[in-house]
Amino acid sequence: MSDQLSLRGMIPHLALPLALAVMLAGFSAVEPRSLSAGNLLNVLEQSSYLIVFTLAQTVVLLTRGFDLSVGMAASAVSVAAALAAVSFGGGAGVAVALLLAGGIGLVNGAVVALLRVNPFVATLGMLNICLGLSSTLSGGRPVTGVPDGLTTLFYSGAVLGVPAPVLIAALCTGGLALLLHRTVFGRSLYLTGGNPRAAEVAGVRVRLTLIGAYTLCALLAGLGAVMLTARTGSGEPSLGGSLTLESIAAAVIGGVSLRGGAGGVTGAVLGAVFVTALSNGMNLTRVDGNVQMIVLGVVVVAAVALDRFRGSR
Amino acid sequence: MADSHNGGFTPGPDGPGAEAPPLLMLSGIGKRFGGVRALGNASLTLTAGSVHVLLGENGAGKSTLINIIAGSFGPDGGTYCLDGQPVRGLTPQRARQAGISAVFQEFSLAPNLTVEENLFLGRERHRLGVLDRRAMRLRAQAVLDDLGFDISPRQRTGDLSRAHQQMVEIAKALMDPVKVLILDEPTASLTEAETERLFALVDRLRAEGVGIIYVSHRLREIIRLADRITVLRDGCTVTSIDAAGVTEDGLVELMTGRKMEALYPQIPHAPGDALLELSGLTLANRTVEDVSLIARAGEITGIAGLVGCGKSEVIRAVYGLETVSSGSIRLKGQAYSPSGPARALTAGVCYFPSDRVAEGLALGRPIRENASMAALDRQRGVVRRGQERSFIKATMDRLRLRPANIERAVGTLSGGNRQKVMLARGLTRPTQVFLFDEPTVGIDVGAKAEVYDFLRDLVRDGAAVVLVSSDLPEVLHLSNRLYVMHRGHIAAELTGADITEAQVLACFFQEDVA
Amino acid sequence: MSVHLPSHHPQPQQFSDRLMLAVAGIGLLPLLLVALVAVLALTEPRFLGAVNLLNILRTASVLAVVASGQMLVLIVGGFDLSVGAVVALSSTVGATAMAGVAASGASPALAVTAGCAAGLGAGAVVGLVNGLCVAVLKVSPFMVTLGTMSAASGVALLLTNGIPVYGLPDGFVSGFGRAVWLGLPSALVVSVVLLGAVAVMQRHTLAGPALRAVGGNLQAARVSGVAVRGWTVAAYVGCAVLASLTGLLLTARIGSGQASLGGLNMTMESIATAVIAGVSLRGGAGRVEMVALGAVFLAVISNAMNLSRVDSKAQLVVLGVILIAAVALDELGKRRRVRV
Repeated sequence: MSDQLSLRGMIPHLALPLALAVMLAGFSAVEPRSLSAGNLLNVLEQSSYLIVFTLAQTVVLLTRGFDLSVGMAASAVSVAAALAAVSFGGGAGVAVALLLAGGIGLVNGAVVALLRVNPFVATLGMLNICLGLSSTLSGGRPVTGVPDGLTTLFYSGAVLGVPAPVLIAALCTGGLALLLHRTVFGRSLYLTGGNPRAAEVAGVRVRLTLIGAYTLCALLAGLGAVMLTARTGSGEPSLGGSLTLESIAAAVIGGVSLRGGAGGVTGAVLGAVFVTALSNGMNLTRVDGNVQMIVLGVVVVAAVALDRFRGSR
Repeated sequence: MADSHNGGFTPGPDGPGAEAPPLLMLSGIGKRFGGVRALGNASLTLTAGSVHVLLGENGAGKSTLINIIAGSFGPDGGTYCLDGQPVRGLTPQRARQAGISAVFQEFSLAPNLTVEENLFLGRERHRLGVLDRRAMRLRAQAVLDDLGFDISPRQRTGDLSRAHQQMVEIAKALMDPVKVLILDEPTASLTEAETERLFALVDRLRAEGVGIIYVSHRLREIIRLADRITVLRDGCTVTSIDAAGVTEDGLVELMTGRKMEALYPQIPHAPGDALLELSGLTLANRTVEDVSLIARAGEITGIAGLVGCGKSEVIRAVYGLETVSSGSIRLKGQAYSPSGPARALTAGVCYFPSDRVAEGLALGRPIRENASMAALDRQRGVVRRGQERSFIKATMDRLRLRPANIERAVGTLSGGNRQKVMLARGLTRPTQVFLFDEPTVGIDVGAKAEVYDFLRDLVRDGAAVVLVSSDLPEVLHLSNRLYVMHRGHIAAELTGADITEAQVLACFFQEDVA
Repeated sequence: MSVHLPSHHPQPQQFSDRLMLAVAGIGLLPLLLVALVAVLALTEPRFLGAVNLLNILRTASVLAVVASGQMLVLIVGGFDLSVGAVVALSSTVGATAMAGVAASGASPALAVTAGCAAGLGAGAVVGLVNGLCVAVLKVSPFMVTLGTMSAASGVALLLTNGIPVYGLPDGFVSGFGRAVWLGLPSALVVSVVLLGAVAVMQRHTLAGPALRAVGGNLQAARVSGVAVRGWTVAAYVGCAVLASLTGLLLTARIGSGQASLGGLNMTMESIATAVIAGVSLRGGAGRVEMVALGAVFLAVISNAMNLSRVDSKAQLVVLGVILIAAVALDELGKRRRVRV
């Protein structure tokens, strides 16, 4: 029976890479360019942004939570960081970004953990607040004139030929993997999501864990916002538009459970790459942008249905 | 009418030649849940106009069997005949249409609905979907009045006390004409007076020709009501006997398959210092009032009482899960104010909840993580996986976990193994005071004995063990000192030879005495 | 031996307790709304103007209909992120069909009928998919409706390329959408009728207790013979149909089908309205009257902020804070009640 279990245990780990390979093969049949080294590197670089946001979302999803505000928080952080960077230099921009993001996360966490507000509502409220903040700060227009230093550091730079965004995403991935599996905080995230009541009864600091999770989530999203700001060279109030939902979709496609306590870094990264590769492939094969929305929708539902199937075993 | 049924009933096991087919006949019923066998070979024959008691220990398969009878689960194998006709694909709705009604321990009531809405749930009176609210209200009132229940049909069910919810549950089962009524521990939350009223109701239904399946642990009730007794052990029907002339001791022997004493280990008590002292403890929600007790090192302190008497709340309060409004707690001689589980664990107190699914375990996570959960704060921020693995492995081996793979998800384990994972927590950090809340609920006999051995070892090593249990033989046999609680108060403290069933029962029902 | 009888219903003695009970009886929302209206009436002369009041009610009515649909889904313990997209879908599908039939020379009446049927049908299909995925495949409502949201707005955009669909029959636009009945905008009258229908359904039909039982205790509902799956699907379809009707009403008023109607914003507002109206996110509770009040409450607040020239961006912040505060208060109230 344990053989069966392990075999069954393997399937989820194999399904996504397999789907990814099949998808890439399909796209290359239609458009040979999609498998070129240049494009693959391109996909990887594009993915790095979504990877950071998906990791952020994963932290919260593990606790049986949700963060609907990551996208809008990213917008607000982008605008605020750009404003600070324009006036006081890149360092100030990064500092403001982390402070603001940390503050947003702290509030989310406190509202969820201490006021016991449903995470959906808490972060929905925060979404509104961030939306108001970013459009007030920016007046609805991009904040231009971000110093080159920031752009080099977070976008155009490279170490040993590895582009900065890829490097940052890799560092985040590795760091989070260590955090989840090697620290008490990481373990607490899983246990809190697995059964919050039981974790509390067993002496796990559930409230602190939740506050930490939302804060970490927002900090990662803030980092992602700085990366995107560096890429466009401007603070964009419209930056976060679809990031929230994409990050949730990517995490869930990667096997992070909405019921909490299950999933990991590998899945989240694969999910993010999958979603990015899907839209990249559809762009190359000139699939209408609206059809792309439909396809993404279907993929999301199918992925969750599969997750449910796995969960019911 | 009742006589004629009894006439067909007394001659013994129904052979193929019996004239009228029995109301309900199950044979060879089996049922598995995942890897766990709940029923192996269960049989039951119910005749109309009789009370058939289903007897067995926790985990013997009683609730699985009644769920199969009521159509909630489908059996994996065996035959199910109603009125001599084989039945297949039974659902709760079809069972009810066929006249099979069940009152389960887990209430089938929606707390957010009114009493009346719950009574008619799934069978509302309506014309083309438009509810006939007046007719339903009148009927609901009539049924409640007829049963002598003092409940308003318009009350929100979730606002009722547990006893009143139990009554609504019974009323709901009797809304339509019933042939078979299943009662699962119906008196668990009732007072003595309410219990008497229920017995009168059972007598009346029996006289009307209803076949009643009655599940209970209370020996007295069984002797009072039963016409026939079927005993389940480890998922199989062991025997089915006529109830005339059985005694309480006989019942215990039937149920456990051994003399009452054999199941329980000899525990050498060596009472030492008082590690836990409560004085005048009163909780904010008034479930516990003015409770004083002492638990000493090297002995088991039992707390017995009926469901809802506040016995669990006492130890939950010590662990910081209930709000204390007055009174004081001393731990190892020091003043102690409980503020939550984390603080309690640091102080050397560990609590083992009765509801292991809700409060004990993260079912999706591996055994290793669940077992080390209570000791996370001792890891200084970083989890050393190798160390953790070998330590938990050793601990689980000591508790004789089988199979011994500690990376399996806890959700795949049986009740007994789950409890072992819980018990491991007590060994992962220095702990002197162990609080057990119904430690053997839902686990099989074998695992039960292992839990008792675990308690014995703890006591031998000089820990103070507080055992809260509704399983009377268990607290009677294991406790060195026994407190009996009644309605939030300590009704008696018994020691040594005074710990007898008669003494305890007298305290349970002291209301009549007072 | 003395026996203490614990009283199950302690009498409220302190004034604050009695106040709490009174508030619990009527609900906080109506009291807040009355207070808000009173303050505005005293401090802002323009507030009580007929045009202003009608504006508020018109805004509120659209929101109330969508939110009442959202309420149905919330009652069964679900969630619908796709309502906004369904509004856009029914608007574009309905308008495209209507304009197409009208252009083919058929009678306006036929065109309007066909258009409305197409719009409602498209919405209902989305609701059906949502309901079936949730009830049968047991997929998380959040993810299902996230997917159908994406798909439905994709279809709406694909159909129109983002360009408004004109060419609707005059009878639909000026004869219905912009008509004034009984001195009120037609959309307001229709909305009130729809809300009334939902209220009657909740109170006087099987759907009332069935939906609440599904959300309150799924197992109990199943054991009691409630068709749990059927009612879950029905709730999602009902929600989508109400959203589609809103889409058609908006289409008639604007005079064109637009993929930009509704959207995620309306979804979020519908959830906010329902939550403020005391619809539980855990399922099992929710009354359409309160949802209507919640919609009016939000419309009044936004109107007040407009009148006092509060920046529209700051308004978003206020809405966010109100939402969180509403739920936090609700939670606090529950914890208090448990302690009593």
